[in-house]
Amino acid sequence: MEDVQVVAMLVRRCIAGDSAAWEEIVQTYHRRIYNICYRFAGSGDDAQDLTQEVFIKMYRTLSSYDPTKGAFVTWVTTITRNLLVDHFRKTKQDRLTDSIDTAASEHEDAQPLSEQIPDQSVPPDAQVRSREVGETVHAALARLSPELREAVILRDLQDLDYREIATVLKVPEGTVKSRINRGRAELARLLQRTYRQVM
Amino acid sequence: MPDQRGNGMQCNEFESLLTDAIDGVLTGPGLDRFQAHVRVCRTCGPLFAEAEAGRNWLKGLTEVEPPASLVTNILASTTGVDTQRLRVTVRSAQVGITWWERVQASLLEPIWATVRQPRFAMSFGMAFFALSVCLAVAGVKPADLRQVSLRPASIRLAYYHTHARVVRYYENVRVVYELEAFAQQVKRNVRPAATAPAKPKDNKNDTTQQPEQKQERNYSQTDNHLILASVPLGPSLRDLPVVSVTTDRRFV
Repeated sequence: MEDVQVVAMLVRRCIAGDSAAWEEIVQTYHRRIYNICYRFAGSGDDAQDLTQEVFIKMYRTLSSYDPTKGAFVTWVTTITRNLLVDHFRKTKQDRLTDSIDTAASEHEDAQPLSEQIPDQSVPPDAQVRSREVGETVHAALARLSPELREAVILRDLQDLDYREIATVLKVPEGTVKSRINRGRAELARLLQRTYRQVM
Repeated sequence: MPDQRGNGMQCNEFESLLTDAIDGVLTGPGLDRFQAHVRVCRTCGPLFAEAEAGRNWLKGLTEVEPPASLVTNILASTTGVDTQRLRVTVRSAQVGITWWERVQASLLEPIWATVRQPRFAMSFGMAFFALSVCLAVAGVKPADLRQVSLRPASIRLAYYHTHARVVRYYENVRVVYELEAFAQQVKRNVRPAATAPAKPKDNKNDTTQQPEQKQERNYSQTDNHLILASVPLGPSLRDLPVVSVTTDRRFV
């Protein structure tokens, strides 16, 4: 996934104050971090803010990265996850508690989820349908509990292996697997329920 | 989860193998036993189907494109430098870093990056403007600075001249003069007339060349005190009983 030597050299250059090396790190990892934040927070604006916060934290704590303890991507993902958990706790009171029929992100044009389900009688354009299905799954993902959500995001969307996820989440591998299984099953149940309501 | 047996597999074992089965890494007899359990167990069968469906849903999600301004914002919020400038100076991956590059990167670039910030530039501009205004008001001309001698004697002389000028200016200010006069007048009015200043002792005739004798007398042993203590008591007072009185030292 990443050349350890190259990343270690980049980090050393960053610590020495080389801003070009820092930009290279930002260019390499911003997409990944943004996607984790977007899938976890559910909102593009929140994801953008959180991604910036992750990089600010990375920039300040870059000297604490130890290449012998793990891959850089694991370190970055751990920072991201910790920040997302903090964000989740802070916004607990403000969070929407309405049903899955509520719009979950600005990408959905403020339509209820049930209205985003593709109409089977009139087949729309495949690309549009795919986008709508994706938004439906994204909305369902936002309804999972944070423990299950972060596990399935790291496994199925970020393709981390179980050991890396266990390192990031600071839980045993068995717990990681259990959470992933429960998360996937819960997501499928939510989507089945949604489609059943529409049909 | 009920612990059912299906083809020799328990539900606990099924759950531990579920991720491997979905990932496709479970093969051979283990896979056969797993599939047999899925077919038999009424709990694990639906769970497997749901987990597999959920994974397929998630795998169908595409990567979201981050906003175009995200990198710029990140760089601005971390290094404070806009990305356009950095793009020009991006160098290919360096294997070794010389000491000069290290010093430049660690010392000069952060300073230069700070100086380039609009906030700092505005502050610097305002400070320069204020300084130039002050110098103009004080009558200092940049052309005069060429003729300034930096010898210690000249600097000292300039200091004394400046000091004298400032003192003269201060003393000649009308407000200060009036305030001082007013303060003296108030002081004279407040001081009682009787307390005239004591006349200095006339030592002109003192030819002993001895130091002046200070009056250090114990007033408790003076004659007046003895006289008061020996006042005889009258006959009526002598017959009175002796009463010891204890006071609380309360004085009104």
